[in-house]
Amino acid sequence: MIETDILVVGGGPAGISAALACGRNNIKTVLIEERDFLGGQLIKQTHRFFGSKEERAGSRGIRIAEDLMNEIKKNKNIDLYLDARALGYYEEEKIFTVLQNGRMLKFSPRKLIIATGAFEKSLSFENNDLPGIYGAGAVQTLMNIYGVKPAERVLMIGSGNIGLIVSYQLIQAGVQVVGVIEAAPEIGGYAVHASKIRRLGVPLYTSHTIKKAIGNEFVTGAEIIELDRNWNEIKGTEKKIDCDCICLSVGLSPLVDILSQSGCEMVYIPELGGEVPVRNENMQTSIDNIYVAGDLAGIEEATAAMLEGELAGLCAANTFINDVKQDERIEKIKNNLEVLRSGPKGSKIRSGLNKLIKGETFFQGGRNTGSEIEAFKKTGIPSGENLRSILPDEKRINETPFALIECFQEIPCDPCVNNCPFGAITEGTDINNLPKIDYSKCTGCGSCISRCPGLAIFLINKNYSENTSTVSMPYEMLPVPQKGEIVDVLDREGKKIVSGKVVKVLKNEKMDKTNVISVEIPKEFFNVARNIRLVK
Amino acid sequence: MRIEKHPILTFERGKEIYFIFDGKRIKAFEGETIAAALHADGIIKYNTSPKLHRPRGLFCAVGHCSSCLMTVNGVPNTRICVTRAKEGMIVHSQNPRGDLND
Repeated sequence: MIETDILVVGGGPAGISAALACGRNNIKTVLIEERDFLGGQLIKQTHRFFGSKEERAGSRGIRIAEDLMNEIKKNKNIDLYLDARALGYYEEEKIFTVLQNGRMLKFSPRKLIIATGAFEKSLSFENNDLPGIYGAGAVQTLMNIYGVKPAERVLMIGSGNIGLIVSYQLIQAGVQVVGVIEAAPEIGGYAVHASKIRRLGVPLYTSHTIKKAIGNEFVTGAEIIELDRNWNEIKGTEKKIDCDCICLSVGLSPLVDILSQSGCEMVYIPELGGEVPVRNENMQTSIDNIYVAGDLAGIEEATAAMLEGELAGLCAANTFINDVKQDERIEKIKNNLEVLRSGPKGSKIRSGLNKLIKGETFFQGGRNTGSEIEAFKKTGIPSGENLRSILPDEKRINETPFALIECFQEIPCDPCVNNCPFGAITEGTDINNLPKIDYSKCTGCGSCISRCPGLAIFLINKNYSENTSTVSMPYEMLPVPQKGEIVDVLDREGKKIVSGKVVKVLKNEKMDKTNVISVEIPKEFFNVARNIRLVK
Repeated sequence: MRIEKHPILTFERGKEIYFIFDGKRIKAFEGETIAAALHADGIIKYNTSPKLHRPRGLFCAVGHCSSCLMTVNGVPNTRICVTRAKEGMIVHSQNPRGDLND
């Protein structure tokens, strides 16, 4: 029997944060993880995170993962068990059993924190079992952990943040994305994520679904079909797409087996991903000793999982330590979670959480509607009107270089605000507000470009020469062009508009591989040129 | 199909090793799973369905879906997506459910 104060199950972002919250407070903690390495989904996230400065917004997920994992290894209060699979919890005896290296271990914890994450959903269509049809997480595991290309030509099903981000990561790995299809009439994830792949030329099919996979031994293509307003297939709109992989990014189901086995009260809430444990705002379940955190408590993203993990850890630990400082921190985390969920994009999770406990409302406020940006949400490409709304006046455009933030959707994010050395970017008191530039303060230094998780900031120098302008843009592909190189200059749909000359390549450690490329183009294209493609 | 250069990541691969899959010699790097090494070799069919014997490949790659079960060093129903390749391993595709007498 192994005695411990806290046992955390699951070494992803939520479990790691929970273990650290306890370990930092000198509480004896055991962390078990079924794989032989820590990190869960966090170690596959090569993109920069949204959120606030406090949650390290603007940093890549993999960097956050490295820091958290190092801290786990250094913390003497945390005993790490890898390759250790949770078997069950026996409430009467208060014993938790674990399988490691073919041996069963018995733990006797005072409190349990379950953070087992989620499992990828599948989708029913003809031939959906063919080799080459993978979950988005599987694709990320192959390419971002093992460095193996999952395929050559991928069709992405689902345009939630995961579908959009994985599409972008596939292109970074040298894989072609032949399209992203989405059954709903608008993009599921953040439109700025869609803009990134649109300017790489990826077609986006909203109001479309997959009808069947084509192939005998493995995938050789897919048949897609358009849906009407009532989500019915429109006959005659079938279309064949050649691909060798169909990547399913159609949502996640909480992995709640251990909780069901333990006897926790469960409830089915579609907005939270399916069956989830009933819990209070301290992350405590119907069994007093069991706390939960992360995706198994409701599908969200990694930032929320880390906050929930810390919250569950502190609340569980608070039952032994009763430290006033922790109470303050607990209130702070609850507040941060509320802010993160308070924008229009958080309405689904808010509605789910409000169903969690009868008569108890997690959220009083929160915004359900954002800016009127119909076209942008459908296509990931801002309309002319959107663009006019952010451009400075004609006089300022013609003076000195200026930054342009193509961010039209209220999402919780603030790295641009915090990284402007001149305080020119503000978003008021709500982190969900759209950023605004005070053009009398913007010097055109461009330091915001590489910090934007949406890669949505560009720097325009309209009067670079008599006939040319330059556009500086974030660039995270290989190879990186050389100064002086002639490249194809693309518009927001990834279409070539003109050839341009690279006049500056900015890269340094602080930019963490988001290089900034400045390209010289005829003046008329200063508000059209948004990407480059190297000429072979 | 291994990624040699990546704009964000660097892959530190282990020692080059070999294992046998259905009689074929497969290259792997220490630390890679059997599934990753097979995938890198272009092998994506891993199993067949129990009734209709339809081909099956990876689905989740994290040990949850059981779509990639194989017999590894005589042990049937091994999840090759979470089992690391080792020098000289003998890996067999199996009949769908595996057989202890294999």
